[in-house]
Amino acid sequence: MGNVFVIAEHRQGLLRDISLEMLTVASQVTQQNGGDVVAVLLGSGVDSLADKLAGYSDKVLYVDDPLFADFNAEKYQRVLVELIKQNNPELVMIGHTTQGVDIAPALAVEMKIPFVTDVIQIEFADGKLQPVRQYYQGKVNANFAFKGESPYLITLREATLEVPEPSKKGAIEKIDSPLKEDIEYRRFIEYVEAEVGDVDITQSEILVAVGRGIREEKNMPMIEELAKAINADICGSRAATDAGWLDHDRQVGTSGKTVKPKLYIAIGISGAFQHLAGMKGSKTIVAINKDPDAPIFSVADFAIIDDLFKVVPKLTEKLKELKG
Amino acid sequence: MNTFVCIKRVPDTSEAEVKVDASGKDVDSSKFSFDINDADNYAVEEAILIKEKVGGTVKVVCMGPKDSDVMIRMALAKGGDSAIRIDDPRINVIDPLQVAKVLAATIKGQEFDLVLTGCMASDDGNMAVGVALAEELGIPHAAMVKKVELGEGKVKVHRELEGGLSEVVEMNLPAVLTIQTGINEPRYAPIKGIRMAQKKELKVLTLDDLGLSENDVNEAASLVELKNLYIPEVVSHAEIIEGEPEQKAEILAEKLVKGGLL
Amino acid sequence: MNTDLNTEMQSFIQKYDLLGCIQCGRCTGGCPVTVRTNLNVRRIVYDSRNEEVLEELAKLPEIWDCTACNTCAVRCPKGLKPVEVLIGLRNILVEEGSVEPTVRDALESIFREGNPWNKSRATRCDWMEGLDVRIVEPGEKVENLIFVCCTIAYDPKVQGIAKNLVKILNKAGVDYGFIGESESCCASEAHNMGEEGLFEMAIEDNTELLNSYEAKRLVAISPHCYAAFKNQYPDLKAEVIHYTHLLKELLEEKKITITKECAEKVIFHDPCFLGKQNNVFDEPRYILKQVGGAELVEFDRKRERSLCCEGGGGKMWVEGSATKAERLAETRVKDAREREATVLAVACPFCVLTLDDALKARGFEEEMRVAEILEFIGPLVE
Repeated sequence: MGNVFVIAEHRQGLLRDISLEMLTVASQVTQQNGGDVVAVLLGSGVDSLADKLAGYSDKVLYVDDPLFADFNAEKYQRVLVELIKQNNPELVMIGHTTQGVDIAPALAVEMKIPFVTDVIQIEFADGKLQPVRQYYQGKVNANFAFKGESPYLITLREATLEVPEPSKKGAIEKIDSPLKEDIEYRRFIEYVEAEVGDVDITQSEILVAVGRGIREEKNMPMIEELAKAINADICGSRAATDAGWLDHDRQVGTSGKTVKPKLYIAIGISGAFQHLAGMKGSKTIVAINKDPDAPIFSVADFAIIDDLFKVVPKLTEKLKELKG
Repeated sequence: MNTFVCIKRVPDTSEAEVKVDASGKDVDSSKFSFDINDADNYAVEEAILIKEKVGGTVKVVCMGPKDSDVMIRMALAKGGDSAIRIDDPRINVIDPLQVAKVLAATIKGQEFDLVLTGCMASDDGNMAVGVALAEELGIPHAAMVKKVELGEGKVKVHRELEGGLSEVVEMNLPAVLTIQTGINEPRYAPIKGIRMAQKKELKVLTLDDLGLSENDVNEAASLVELKNLYIPEVVSHAEIIEGEPEQKAEILAEKLVKGGLL
Repeated sequence: MNTDLNTEMQSFIQKYDLLGCIQCGRCTGGCPVTVRTNLNVRRIVYDSRNEEVLEELAKLPEIWDCTACNTCAVRCPKGLKPVEVLIGLRNILVEEGSVEPTVRDALESIFREGNPWNKSRATRCDWMEGLDVRIVEPGEKVENLIFVCCTIAYDPKVQGIAKNLVKILNKAGVDYGFIGESESCCASEAHNMGEEGLFEMAIEDNTELLNSYEAKRLVAISPHCYAAFKNQYPDLKAEVIHYTHLLKELLEEKKITITKECAEKVIFHDPCFLGKQNNVFDEPRYILKQVGGAELVEFDRKRERSLCCEGGGGKMWVEGSATKAERLAETRVKDAREREATVLAVACPFCVLTLDDALKARGFEEEMRVAEILEFIGPLVE
């Protein structure tokens, strides 16, 4: 098959993980079916990123131009259209990230090319690429087929695989920007860091939640230590806030807050129906509880059925070790 | 400021068992409850806050079956002025680009400054319709918007990036914004308001009314094909970690760190 | 006053007869939540006479601390309903759309799916799985039409209440029928949260549905549904009773007997919506007394003086501002423990939830359990 284009993602001078993840998938695809992995880097003075990408690609197309000092979806689109037309890759990969979803759909519309979003893996059926995506928050998988002529466009889900050590040494080809002038209709202004202040658990990415299973307030430091080790905020069930272990604004459930963090670690929470309603939308749920019938396990992704007082300290210790 | 806000009726499958139906290309939705898509609800609220602040109109656009009227009426009760529902079984709703094409045909030619959509539909998770719609309309866009500041002929928005960072961009109007949840707190639509909203205009249109040909937006016209659906092997069934308590803790720690969850 | 008058035409003062208030303060004196919050019912009734400040009053956080237990109305010497004044203030917020998200979600769920728990209507009868339940269709004749209640239908913690009722009814061989998936929330709690429009709509829709059966009696399992149907649904054709009425009848007629003995010390907590609001005090006690080997003891605060568990008045969906002192449910379980009760018997799903939480918070799991009457006697009935 033809080449695979991977649109590298970077921000504030750093390469985003998705870039290497995409290159890894692209390598798997080309190993089976031929073609080169081509990383496409749009930036300004980011040579070190080009070098890093080269370790995972057969070629790096590097547009080094002050026009790309900051991300701008409209500019990316204009350039990518030109590069794709000139090079005619078989497959174009963009991250299914806040950056990627700002570009890919418009690019697909403009180029009138087949487009599948949020792909979790790429399979082959009858010698053809078959992207797999999900529906209903991961409850159903769907096999897709591209129709018509390549190039094909996908956005790839983040964090679906481990990135190996670099094994390639692609040539870095600096090319002139096909876009010569800045565009007027969309302007990058600045990056703004998140405000630091009182914790709003509805905005937390990682939550450690406690329930009555921790029994007494004097056990809270054990939880705080775990939360600190993984940069999590602490929340709790109604029982925990009622008991005064936590402020009421940290209560999760129908009478408290609804949270949807990336990771929710429920410790000693049985999972009353009212509590589950407030946290079931979390992306990944870990439950630690000694009751095998605790309803929390019905929504959990990982379950430890055991004495939390034995599990939690060890978990904290191991996490600290792994996270260095 | 005249705003179009696009909404979708979606099932809540967070606790429901999802089964693939006999066609192999759809799921059995008979046991689902339905509501307005979460992000769309925030988009509606944002449109109404804008109207309350600077005046203008809010028009609700929804592609979907008659059952969507409940969600449309709720949006009208909150402050929407009128609504259009596109109901045509020939539209291939699987393909977000075709959905965008239909929405564009609905909005094109009308007077507007802003189009708001949710940034993601919770059922298909494409995160594509809003940005594709902007391209179809030939106007700028910003995805994942968490803050909107209106200016003269322009709009400044904060796009929510990973890790709490925001990217501030400014665009000329008209523009399409895909709204992220949490941008505001959607208000309640009281039943008295919903009843009064029965008087507001709700037009139901088909492809013919939009001047679109079936061959633009049906399954055959799509450049992608959904071949089949299947239930992945491990779905919402907890992986039970076995061993002695301390072993369990170590295994979990490794899963969290190596699985990229931390 | 002509009750057909559009309520919006009435002033707030007229609607709640605020000028009839003599400011005796018995409402506040009896209000069980005053120990926990700044809520002063008398004061709010007084301030509400100035219609210009209603919006401000509605914004007071303690408006949401009221549990709608009705003690204030029971005690008012002028026959006023101070609780309804608080609900009227909540209504101002509802009509503005500015209620807590949890309240919003519960109300929207009632509107869309007929229950406040954001559950699919299509799964309302999932609890019946594996049970031999008779479901009746509109037009059918049935002696006892059973109304389950949303919380009992959907919350696994209290589904056992309905399951045990089915077993008992089947054993008794009585003519009964359940409504099935078309059963919709009585909206009593919607009313208590100030959503008058939704409550009115529910009354219309439910009256039409319930009257479509040839039912002699409508048997509510939850006191909240019972109180609403009995007192706030004027056009129901069937006689409204609580399941404890039916159960007492079945025991008296020997259609069921409690055969198994049970050496427990049982204390009964009168639910507000059953007891002080509807004077159903004796039926639950009669049933509990039929349990051989069990001893029935009483709270000091019993019958019309029963202490509210704080489960009603929308409290399942809003935390309110009450932070002073312990939860009333905790006071209740402590009192029960002092009486050395081993079973805290209740007849309301909300009471089960609040009291069971309190019992666990107090760490009384070993010594005592909270049991709804049906769950308590179900296994003892032959």
